[in-house]
Amino acid sequence: MDLFLQQFFNGLTLGSVYTLVAIGLTLVFGILHIPNFAHGALYLIGGYVTLMVMKGTGAHYFVAIFASIIVVALLGILMERLVFNPLRNSPPIHDKIAAIGLVLFFEALVQLVWGTEYLRMFSPFDNNISVAGVLMTSQRILVIVVAFVVVVLLTLFLKKTMMGASIIAMAQNREGAFLVGINANAVAMMTFAISGALAAIAASLAAPINLVFPSMGHLVILKAFVVVIIGGMGSIPGAIVAGLILGMTESMGATYISNDYKDMIAFLLLVVIMTIRPKGLFAKGVH
Amino acid sequence: MRSFKKGLFTGFLFLLILVLVACGNEEATPETTVDVDADPVKETEEVVEAKELTIGFSGPLSGPAATYGGETIKGLTMAVEDINEEGFEVDGQPYTLKLASLDDKYLPNETAANAKRLVQEEKTKFIYSPHSGGIYAMQVFNEMEDFIIMGYTSEPGVTEQGNSLMVRIPPRYDQYLEPFTKYEMERFGKKIAFLPTASQYGKDWAAALKPVWEANGGEVVFDESVDFSKDTDFQTIVANALQENPDVLFIGGPSEPTALIAKQARDLGFEGGFLIMDQAKLDEMAAVLGGNYDMLEGSISTIPLVNSEYPGTAEFIEKYKANNDRDPGSESAFHYVSLYVLTGAMKAAGTVDDTKAIMAKMDEAAKNLPENKQAYSIPGVEEDGGFGSLLRIAYIEDGELKIMGTD
Repeated sequence: MDLFLQQFFNGLTLGSVYTLVAIGLTLVFGILHIPNFAHGALYLIGGYVTLMVMKGTGAHYFVAIFASIIVVALLGILMERLVFNPLRNSPPIHDKIAAIGLVLFFEALVQLVWGTEYLRMFSPFDNNISVAGVLMTSQRILVIVVAFVVVVLLTLFLKKTMMGASIIAMAQNREGAFLVGINANAVAMMTFAISGALAAIAASLAAPINLVFPSMGHLVILKAFVVVIIGGMGSIPGAIVAGLILGMTESMGATYISNDYKDMIAFLLLVVIMTIRPKGLFAKGVH
Repeated sequence: MRSFKKGLFTGFLFLLILVLVACGNEEATPETTVDVDADPVKETEEVVEAKELTIGFSGPLSGPAATYGGETIKGLTMAVEDINEEGFEVDGQPYTLKLASLDDKYLPNETAANAKRLVQEEKTKFIYSPHSGGIYAMQVFNEMEDFIIMGYTSEPGVTEQGNSLMVRIPPRYDQYLEPFTKYEMERFGKKIAFLPTASQYGKDWAAALKPVWEANGGEVVFDESVDFSKDTDFQTIVANALQENPDVLFIGGPSEPTALIAKQARDLGFEGGFLIMDQAKLDEMAAVLGGNYDMLEGSISTIPLVNSEYPGTAEFIEKYKANNDRDPGSESAFHYVSLYVLTGAMKAAGTVDDTKAIMAKMDEAAKNLPENKQAYSIPGVEEDGGFGSLLRIAYIEDGELKIMGTD
C-alpha cells in the first residue's frame, strides 16, 4: 500500500509538469492550428533563465521564477510577432518548418551561451518530509500545488474575463472572432505570452528535481505532445486529464508491469484512445 | 507578389538554418593547427618544411553527451598544442599535428560514416572515438582501411576481438568488479539493486557485475536500468528498487544525473552504499550535490583526476584550468596522455603511416613517457592494445574521499 501511495504521488508530480507544458501547447494550437514545436525551446529557456537569475543575482527562487516568466512570455510574444504572425496566411507546413528552426536556434544558442554541462538548480524546498508513509521533498509538493493553482487561475481567466473569452473565441472560430471585433493580434500575442509563462513555470518547478541542460526541452515536449493528442488538440480540460493519466501510467506501469516497458504502455494507451476517440478525449472538432 | 514574398521569407529561413548549422559545425570542429617554425639549428643548414599530420576524432559533440565529447576533445586539443609547440619530428622530418573532429551524436553508425570520411578526406591513420558502440562499428573495417582506432572505453570487449589496430585507453572495468563488490558487501550487506544507465555500456557492466556479486554470496534483488535520454524523473524507479530493501545500489551513467539518482534514493530514506560505474566521477557527482560527499557516504568508484597523484597530474590540471573554469575529468587527461603515447610510438617506429610498426612500439612509448606528461602513468600497452591496468579505486567514508590501498 505504501508503494502504491508513493507511486501515486510520483505520478501526480510527473503529471503536473506534463499538464502545465501541455496546456501551453494546446492554447497555442488554438491560434496556430499546428502543434508548436518551438514550445520545448520556451521550456528550455525558462529553466535556464531561472537558474541564471538565481546564480547571477542570488535572488530567491520565487523571484527568479517571476523573472523567468516575464522573459519567456516576452520571448513568446516575439516569436509570434517575428515568425508566426508573418506566416499566418502561408500553408501550415511553413509554420512547422519555422517552429523546428526555432528549436534548433534556441538549443544552439543555449549551448553557445551556457555550455553543454548538466547544471543543478538548488531550490530552498529541498527538505524531506513524510506524509502517511510517503516520503517526499517539499519541492514535489510545490510542483503539485503550483500546478493546481495555475490551472485554476488560468481557467478563471479564460472563463471570466473578456480577454480570456476572446482567446477561446479565436480558437473556436477565427473569422467569427474577427466579425465580432476581436483584435486578433492582441489575442495571438496574449496567447503566446501565456503559453511561454506556463512553460517557464513548468521548467522552473521541474528543474530542481531534475537537471538543467540543453536538451531538457525535448524530453518534456515529447510527453506533452502525447498529452495534447490524448486530451484532444486545443482542449484545456483534455490536457489536464491526459497529463495526469500519462504521469500515472508511467509511474504505475513502471511499478506494476515493467520499467523497461513503461513508455510502451504510455504509447499503447495513446493508440487505444486514438482508436476509440480519434480526436482525443475532449476534442471539440478543431481542424 | 504575396507568394514571392512568402518564397523570399522561406528562403531566408532556410538560409538562416543553414548558417546556424554551419556555425554549429564550426563551433564543434576546433581544428587546431599551431604552426611551428622549423628548428632554428637546422635553419642554417637546410630548411625542412613541416608536413601536416592529421589525427581524426569522432565523438558526441551535440546532444546529451556533448559535454563528455567536449572534454575528450579538450584533452586532445591541449596535447596537439603542446606537441606542436615542443616540435614533433619523426625520422628527421618535422610534422605539425592537426585535429580533425566530427560529431557522431553518440551513434555508432555515424561514427562509422565519420571514420570513412576522415580516412578518405583527411587521409588520417589514427581515429579517436570515446564510446564503445562507435569503436565496435569502426572495428568492422579499420584493418582493411588501415587506420588505428584510439578507443576511449573501459569495455574489455573492444580489445578481445583480436583487432590488430586497436588501442584501448582507459583501464578495463572488469578489474573493478571484485574489489567494489568486496567493499560494499563487507560494509553494507549482501542485497544489491541494479539501476545503471540503459546504454549498451551500462548493460554490459551490469551483466559483468552480476556473476561476481553472486559468486561472493550476494543477491541481486532488483535488476532494471534508467534511460537518461528519456526519463524526466527517477523517483518512480528508485522507489521501486528501494521496495526490495537493498543494502547497496549499483548506479552509473553520466555523473550529474547519476548523482541525482543517489540523491533521490537518500530522499526516499536509503541508507546503504553506492557501487558506482566508472563512467560517473565522484567529484563531478559531489558538485551537483552541494559540493560535498555527505550524500555519497559509502560510495565506491574510480579515483577522480583531481585526487590523483601521478607525476604530471598537477601540471595537467593547472594547464587545463588556465583555459576552463572547472576541474578536468579523467577523460581529458587520458586523451592528453594517449596522444603523447601515440606520437611517441611514431617516433620510436620512425614512421607516421606504417600502422603495424607504430602499434608494435606503443608499449615502449608508454613506458618512456616523459614524467611531466604523466597526468596518468601508463604501465605499458598490452598485447591486445589495451593500456596497462592501474587500479584506481576511491571510496567515501565519514564524508571524505579515501583512496584504496593508501590506508
